[in-house]
Amino acid sequence: MKKLLALLLVLCMIFALAACSTDPGTESEAPAGEDVAITLWTYPIGGWGNSETVKTLTDKFEAANPGIKVNVEYLDYTNGDDQVNTAIEGKKAPDLIMEGPERLVANWGAKGYMVDLADLWDDTDKNEVIPSVVSACFNAEGKCYEYPVCMTAHCMAINLDAFKKAGADQYLDLENLTWTTEGFINAVKALKEAGYENVAAVYCGGQGGDQGTRAIVNNLYSGTFTNAEHTAYTADSAENVKALELLKELDGVNFDASIVGGDEINLFRQGVLQMAFCWNIGAQTNVDNGNEVGKTNNGEEIVCMAFPSDDGKAELCGGIWGFGIFDNGDAAKIDAAKKFIKYMADGEGTADAVKASTYFAVRDTAEGNDLTKIYADDPVRTEYTKLMPLLGDYYQVVPGWAEARTAWWNMLQQIGSGTDVSTAVAEFVATANAAAGA
Amino acid sequence: MRSQKSMAYRVIAMILVVILALLFLFPLYWIVTGSFKTGKEINSTTPVWWPSEWTLTNYETLMSKQTANLFDLSIPFSQYFTKDGEAIVFLSGPEVPAAIRWLLNTVWMAVAAMLLTCATAAMAGYALAKKRFVGRGLIFTLIVCAMALPKQVILIPLIREMSSLKLYNTISAVIYPIVGWPFGVFLIKQFAEGIPGEILESARIDGAGEFRTFTKIAFPMIKPGVGALAIFTFISAWNDYFMQLIMLTSTRNLTISLGIAKMQAENSTNFGLIMAGAAFAAVPIIIVFVIFQKYFTRGITMGAVKG
Amino acid sequence: MPKRSRMSRALVRRETTAGYLFLLPSLFFFITFVLVPMFICIYTSFFDSNMGKDTQDVFIGFNNYKELLGDEIFLGALKNTLIIVVVSVPTVCIFSLWVASAIYDMKPALTSIYRVIFYLPVVTGSVAVTVVWKWMFNNYYGIFNYLSQGVGLTNQNINWLGDARYALWCIILILFTTSVGQPIVLYVSALGNVDQTLVEAAEVDGATNTQVFWKIKWPQIMPTTLYILVITTINSFQCFALIQLLTSGGPNHSTDTIMYYIYYTAFKLYRYGYGNAMGVVLMILIAILSAVQFRLGKSKS
Repeated sequence: MKKLLALLLVLCMIFALAACSTDPGTESEAPAGEDVAITLWTYPIGGWGNSETVKTLTDKFEAANPGIKVNVEYLDYTNGDDQVNTAIEGKKAPDLIMEGPERLVANWGAKGYMVDLADLWDDTDKNEVIPSVVSACFNAEGKCYEYPVCMTAHCMAINLDAFKKAGADQYLDLENLTWTTEGFINAVKALKEAGYENVAAVYCGGQGGDQGTRAIVNNLYSGTFTNAEHTAYTADSAENVKALELLKELDGVNFDASIVGGDEINLFRQGVLQMAFCWNIGAQTNVDNGNEVGKTNNGEEIVCMAFPSDDGKAELCGGIWGFGIFDNGDAAKIDAAKKFIKYMADGEGTADAVKASTYFAVRDTAEGNDLTKIYADDPVRTEYTKLMPLLGDYYQVVPGWAEARTAWWNMLQQIGSGTDVSTAVAEFVATANAAAGA
Repeated sequence: MRSQKSMAYRVIAMILVVILALLFLFPLYWIVTGSFKTGKEINSTTPVWWPSEWTLTNYETLMSKQTANLFDLSIPFSQYFTKDGEAIVFLSGPEVPAAIRWLLNTVWMAVAAMLLTCATAAMAGYALAKKRFVGRGLIFTLIVCAMALPKQVILIPLIREMSSLKLYNTISAVIYPIVGWPFGVFLIKQFAEGIPGEILESARIDGAGEFRTFTKIAFPMIKPGVGALAIFTFISAWNDYFMQLIMLTSTRNLTISLGIAKMQAENSTNFGLIMAGAAFAAVPIIIVFVIFQKYFTRGITMGAVKG
Repeated sequence: MPKRSRMSRALVRRETTAGYLFLLPSLFFFITFVLVPMFICIYTSFFDSNMGKDTQDVFIGFNNYKELLGDEIFLGALKNTLIIVVVSVPTVCIFSLWVASAIYDMKPALTSIYRVIFYLPVVTGSVAVTVVWKWMFNNYYGIFNYLSQGVGLTNQNINWLGDARYALWCIILILFTTSVGQPIVLYVSALGNVDQTLVEAAEVDGATNTQVFWKIKWPQIMPTTLYILVITTINSFQCFALIQLLTSGGPNHSTDTIMYYIYYTAFKLYRYGYGNAMGVVLMILIAILSAVQFRLGKSKS
């Protein structure tokens, strides 16, 4: 028995050594010749969060580019940013990352971790891609930290059956998918009177989905979030304060710190809320809850709407997604990563890559491949294209965006806990501008 | 009169304990039944206490969502010689659903942390209690001070250190800080104080070497303490979500709780899938606990009472 | 210690060598993965250190610490941390002692069943447990609102996790359910090991149940109590997953603990030096607390 214990102890020590080694990083099984393995981390951008979908895409790329192997890891919006940050500190940043300019350009790019992709753009590309997207992907010094693939306009959604029941559908312009601030106020009141306890929720928690709360606040009285040069935050303007006060006063609209954007979507689909501020074509076509496309879990009809505005001209927040390359100091990997970007964003793979994202292409053709017809037989997306011209300024590239976003949530939480709106907004702008100046 | 009163108390206490037990049972009940519910029922706004129709869809999704090799064996220390700092894998297991790999990772992590902690702490605790040497006081003070230190405090230096040791994004990066955490040494030292000095003395006179004295005489006497430490370490390693969150990134290196936490998507959270993952993670360890609970509790008891 | 003075120099050397050899493996891990990062942490806390490839750390002396003193969020986090520890440690101890004394003298099978049940939240894992609790606390259809309205306690939904008045207490409640498992197991065993002859003798002498408990049983389970106090304090300080997964410190920092705020400062605000300064303050606090607890424990036993 005692011998056994001693043996066990010795074994433990051997284990200790073994523990150092049994967990490898990548499957770099004898890299023969000039084979390169690159790692891609993606956020759940439509089907790009689904391993089966992504595998078919990377398989095609690997077949077209022998010698390059792509390993994909999937991030979520709750922990994703923290994981990228820890990985950067741990010097294990991925080679490729897929997200939007607010992270790639304004955050990691600005901090010096990304590779300049300006050499991937020729004049044709610059003409093909929508100008506002191009400008979002370049920083003020003309460096490009993101090559865009797909985009959407973030909109809101309403439960049409509930609106009809409450007689609130009269406030909607279902032809153009727009409505006015006054109509919005009346609709909330009508729904509340019709017995809907919770009409909408300003979700105040989390990392993603901030565009929805920003857009509703900015649109109600035509406020802006930043100045036109994208150098400072202007969220404390009288229009924005007025909008926040309206949302706070409006009976039926809750400031809810216990939910994040994803929770709001769930609550809306469950029929608890009658409007969702965190919506886009991806949400409209999602069927994970056993629902049908464009329907709530109970089968009620969901209509995508622009945000209500006082001047009738809604400005929707854009979502742009594309690839960036982390500078890990390995030229071979950077080259391989660039080939990947070229293939997916401006080449044979682009149509599939865009389709997988469930969003829209940022250009009409990619190296001669026509991208205008990929959703030709898709009525939901055809309807959604009505909203695309309403895309507003893509301002999420102000320096210090990540810190500002964190402060934005906190500001909403403060307002929800009863802090005076102008005080909270002033504090937010001070914090955000400090981060922008740094 | 008194016995009547105490009878009444006992009955009330019984009822209360039953109610409390039901409350404690509830989360697991909800996870397990939830994992078999359809998407409609799990997203229902009125509680569905019992699935009206049992479905395996959630488990099917859990098993098909991502895949990983069952295991990857690599050449020890090879990460120090490769260009990209990754260890060279010489043997990989068959491709299996990632959840299985995650469970395996978690078990490996908890068991390795437990064995290493017990072995190192038993020796160190014994030495601190029974050996007289220079610097003993200082070491013990350091241990007492660092004992309750939450790992978050040293978060950033630890990530950088793991990275320069090429351990970042390996299970070892989670294991080693647990082993280094000095609570175990403190605990064993308290137990080892109870070993009578005469016994050790006589062993020495009989010509037993230091290590022999430890394994043959001291270790059996502190075994209950080691048992208590083993359980404590295993459970806290299993639940050490923080270290896993900051140290592990690759799908193949995740632990089961991290894997579940990462399943929450942007456009919808598939609660059925999360419940299935949670049940998949919880049930094995509960079975282990039910089977071994006698040993668990015997180990802890004798120790704590004596200490 | 008369023996010690008679120790020969050779013996001292032998003891020292043996002592350090036994300590070596443990010290290796302790120094590499606890002490070294701790010193780096102290060192960095004097710098303005931020995330960024080309940013240089700037020495700023005690500025981080000065800023800490004026940082209301930090002071709030400190307060929350202390509330969690001060509330949860005694309640966990008392509750588990009560449950244990109610179940330890049942039929062995029944005792086992209860023991397993109360241990379940510990082994289920915090991620899984929080998913269920989040649903139970849900603002719109959570079971707590469902029940409290059904019973008539409230007529409006309470936003448990979204209201600064309740959120911290919800966290403490969940922490409580995941912390009592081990103390109950320990107390059940400790109570079962109490010397029965002493108890019987006292009962013959006409001692009441209360007297038997305080005079006979309590002193015998004292070491268990001390052990439980230590592990519960440690667990309460380390409470992180619950906060990260349920509230992320919100609403408006009302559930921030120092541990969470350090993480937040580092990875949401990218201020490493400042985060490390917080760590150092916490380190000092905990060291003092442990030392006091240890002294108390020593003088009592």
